[in-house]
Amino acid sequence: MELAFLQLAATAYLVSALAFGAHVLWSVERAASAGPLLLGLGFLVHGLSIAWRTVDSGLVTVVGFAEGLSFFAWLVAGAWLVAQRRYSLSVIGAVVSPLAFALTLAAVILFTGARAVPAELMGPWLPVHVSLAFLGNAVFALAFAVSVIYLVQENALKSHRAGSVLNRLPSLEQLDRVNFTCLAWGFPLLTLGIMTGGLWASAYSGQFWSGEPREIFSIVLWVLYAGLLQLRFTRGLRGRRASLATMLGFAILVLAYLAVNVLPVAGRHGGGVLS
Amino acid sequence: MARGLLVYGINHHSAPVELRERLSVPEEALAQRLGELLEVPGVEEAVLLSTCNRVEMIACCVGDVSRGELLHKALLADSGVTPELAEPHAYQHTGREAVRHLFRVASSLDSLVVGEPQILGQMKDQYLLSHGHSSTGVVLNRLFHKSFSVAKRVRSETGIASKSVSLASVAVDLAGKIFESLEGRTALLLGLGEIGEVTARQLLSAGVERLLVANRTLETALELARELDGTALPLERMAGYLPLADLVIGCSGGGQLVMAAEVSAAVKERRHRPMFFIDLAVPRNFDPAINNVDGAYLYDLDDLASVANENKSSRRREANEGEVMVEQEVDSFWQWFEGLELVPTIVELRESVELIRTTELMRTLDKMSLDEESRERVDQMTRSMMNKLLHSPTSVLKEAGGSNEETGLLSATRRLFGLGDPEK
Repeated sequence: MELAFLQLAATAYLVSALAFGAHVLWSVERAASAGPLLLGLGFLVHGLSIAWRTVDSGLVTVVGFAEGLSFFAWLVAGAWLVAQRRYSLSVIGAVVSPLAFALTLAAVILFTGARAVPAELMGPWLPVHVSLAFLGNAVFALAFAVSVIYLVQENALKSHRAGSVLNRLPSLEQLDRVNFTCLAWGFPLLTLGIMTGGLWASAYSGQFWSGEPREIFSIVLWVLYAGLLQLRFTRGLRGRRASLATMLGFAILVLAYLAVNVLPVAGRHGGGVLS
Repeated sequence: MARGLLVYGINHHSAPVELRERLSVPEEALAQRLGELLEVPGVEEAVLLSTCNRVEMIACCVGDVSRGELLHKALLADSGVTPELAEPHAYQHTGREAVRHLFRVASSLDSLVVGEPQILGQMKDQYLLSHGHSSTGVVLNRLFHKSFSVAKRVRSETGIASKSVSLASVAVDLAGKIFESLEGRTALLLGLGEIGEVTARQLLSAGVERLLVANRTLETALELARELDGTALPLERMAGYLPLADLVIGCSGGGQLVMAAEVSAAVKERRHRPMFFIDLAVPRNFDPAINNVDGAYLYDLDDLASVANENKSSRRREANEGEVMVEQEVDSFWQWFEGLELVPTIVELRESVELIRTTELMRTLDKMSLDEESRERVDQMTRSMMNKLLHSPTSVLKEAGGSNEETGLLSATRRLFGLGDPEK
């Protein structure tokens, strides 16, 4: 059942992505409301899949690569839903829906079913750490999507090409503001994620910091986003450069995630699909 | 006599502006003009439409109406234009064509700038004026109301009006793609060209809060600044104000006034808040390299015109959809209008009763052996029965012609006597 819902969600994300593309790129008016609707629907069905597993395993836990991807995709769609209601920027879905589709598709392909958490890793900090860390990543993913839209819109304006894309996308300033808001939410979530991870680790092994790759990547990411926020406040960094920096941050985030999960590196964050 | 619809007039397709100017009807002259029109034999209802792009009369007439008299009463009046001068530029549409024409005008498909919104308002005003002078009746009331709803439908169901086609409004649209809102923004206007002033006015009405007007001669800048509630400054001091401006409009004859390096510095001073440069001057006021400065966006006259042209062609594509809608609505109106036709109904009524009379007469006479004279008498009797029976409905229908009762009575007659439904 969990897998069936997951497949259904992936399908909804795919059709949503196609509808967004048809509307933004080829001005198909009839597709205008289909994209946001299907993305919302995908989120709901996806939520059912995750609820199913949570009831099965008893806790919000993410064990294994596939589950992680699925949970991440679901949170990204959820973050879009919040932003869409708050700022009426449903067009960001044009980037979010293909992203959600790709992640969910990977989750479907790599699906393994519910696995028990190794008893020695359990503890009160585990679900808190996992939720916060993933939520932070999802907000950064949304910031990435907003930045992509920003660069597309900026390019359309600079190149003096009017037409469909320019007309469908929101103003640069609004995109920049939402990008900033995402960072302002993502950064504390990342910080809390790192801290709760440390607390959990010290509860389980007595060590706050063990220097495994995932921890190092997290610190690199934390420094990058901290610097980005700092420059925004002090130097008025914004617009194209801020968007590029946001995208760089997300690229590192994705690389870190893949590296830790796919490559055979030891640690509590995966251990490697290939190992 | 059959009732017909007639459109007669001149517009921007058919006549030069000099002629349109001379023939346009001032509002205060409208009542008298309508009164005279209604005196033309055969004209039952009339509306006069006079805008800067068209002067035309829409009338509902009975029988043949003299074209010369209409031309004179509707268009020429005391304008001093001779019929020989006006006639070659005038067009005339009758029947379905007239309905189509009016629907196209209301939907702005016939406008100089397809999709422009003013025409519908002008039509509504002038229709109300005519209505106020009781020159409209069942037919034109329905025709105009229908044309307003067609226009709304075309506007909302096609993209005919969704994109700007004037340079100034394209510039305002583009500003809306850079800035989240124009509220509280500052615009700097260089020079006093007319197109710059139009753009500045549009920006102000879109929410721009402060306007700085820089000009070589301060006095003229002061004049415009006073009118638009802005601040005037001499052109030499413009550079110092550059960082304050979110939007900079160039329409000065002074050639290149702002260089990329200055803009780069200004953007830095603004902590990278974006700047929008609108160059409406020829030769251009802004260094083209400004567009390469991060956070600065430069559009010159050609760039704006190419956006406007692209929007125009997109409007034309949408207009095709509008034409299809108009065609459907013409059909539905025309069905109603034909159903209104009094004369065909009366003729049909008589024919149907006559058919019953002759059939029954033949059937009876065949069974009887009567001489020629008696047959003649029976025939005569049935004929006069028919005439007496039909006398009252026929005269009531004729009397009701053109009144508010007409439609109801016509449809009642058709139902009561089982006549073919014209709506089908």
